[in-house]
Amino acid sequence: MSVLPWLVAAWLFGVGVYGVATSRNFIHLIGCLSVCQSSTYVLLLSLGYRWKAVAPIFYDHPPGTLAVDPVVQALVLTDIVVGATITALLLAMALRVDAKHGTLDPQELRPLQGEGH
Amino acid sequence: MSPRTRLALLCLAGACLTVPIWKVAQALPPFGAPTGAYGPAVNALGPPLRHVSNMVSAVNFDFRGFDTLGEEFMLLCAVTGAVLLLRGTRGESLADKAGIIPGRPRERRADATILICRIFGPLTLVFGLYMALHATVTPGGGFQGGVVAASGLLMVYLGEGYETWRKLVRSRVLDVMEAGGALLFAMAGLSPMLTGAAFMQNVLPLGAFKDMLSGGLMLVENVGVGFAVAGGFAMLFLEFMEETRALKSETQE
Amino acid sequence: MSLILGLLLGLAALAGLGVVLSRDPRRQVMAMAANGLALTLLFFALQAPDVALSELTVGTAATPLLFLVTLAAVRMNRVRQRK
Repeated sequence: MSVLPWLVAAWLFGVGVYGVATSRNFIHLIGCLSVCQSSTYVLLLSLGYRWKAVAPIFYDHPPGTLAVDPVVQALVLTDIVVGATITALLLAMALRVDAKHGTLDPQELRPLQGEGH
Repeated sequence: MSPRTRLALLCLAGACLTVPIWKVAQALPPFGAPTGAYGPAVNALGPPLRHVSNMVSAVNFDFRGFDTLGEEFMLLCAVTGAVLLLRGTRGESLADKAGIIPGRPRERRADATILICRIFGPLTLVFGLYMALHATVTPGGGFQGGVVAASGLLMVYLGEGYETWRKLVRSRVLDVMEAGGALLFAMAGLSPMLTGAAFMQNVLPLGAFKDMLSGGLMLVENVGVGFAVAGGFAMLFLEFMEETRALKSETQE
Repeated sequence: MSLILGLLLGLAALAGLGVVLSRDPRRQVMAMAANGLALTLLFFALQAPDVALSELTVGTAATPLLFLVTLAAVRMNRVRQRK
């Protein structure tokens, strides 16, 4: 089953999008968005993996040992930390929405609601 | 759009995409046998060119340092946005104590929790500092070390409670730390241009292989990222915790 | 495909499903911490220690804490609005 990681990444993304589309609570929606993010991490890291290779840190192994791809690891590493701060920004927005409208249900909120409606 | 319509459209999209996803999964290189040439080239050229042993840090701060500059500023923007949203509408009628929800039992903090947090809080801070400084030799770096240091501050909150934590952690210091880290990274990029080199070119002495002080300009960028990430996460914790403060009118009852 | 990688990939898929299926936000926070742990183990098995370190701290400590504090703030606001 050498296609299992790609299928797991697609499954995680699909499950996350399903959660976002059918969510009844903004905070639950933000959690499902983080599942979508984690699917990209799984995909990228699986693309760089090589059988019988070590981590790309040449402290214990001499330089020249077969190692996995370090470029995708660098991408995922910064992505995880920045993704967490974006989640914090979304949570702050959810707090403001709840303070203004009194509800956290995405299906009860309509966009661009004016003050006089 | 009603929820049923949305779910029906989602299922339709999923059904249409199943076959293309299967075809793409078959067409990608098999798991464990990547065909790209960039990764092995970095692994082969990194140690002799830059004298570092952590290839991921070398890619993050040297070979693809410009991307990390973008990510750093993305972090700065997200933290600024969240802080702006929270600070701007908070108002002045909040006391310095944690808020209480009526009807929930108030338990005293357990002694075991206080002891463990007092032992492991400073230990986590030191570990985060160690991990951030040894970016070029062992797994670690500014991003990981900064987040670990911020979670060390969190253990201080768990052990001491909100009032003590609020006195220890000052938001001015965190503001300066976060902005200073981003500025340091940008300066590390611009300073080589003063000597005639390219943007973010590694002009500092490269040091010895497997030594902590190796990598040249990577160390400066690393320190900048560590400060920015630690300051940013700690500021997010602080601002979110401030949302749960009690109102002044409630504490005077 | 080695057995442990297959098992860890399956565990990550189940943990993601668990996060989506927990509709109550307070339960979902615990599911998110478990998801972070499952992903950390998977990243270690994929020979990526740097990534696993980031995911461990962010996924099990930082993000669940932000969610819990947001939930507490929402509940406090509701109580105050009712008064």
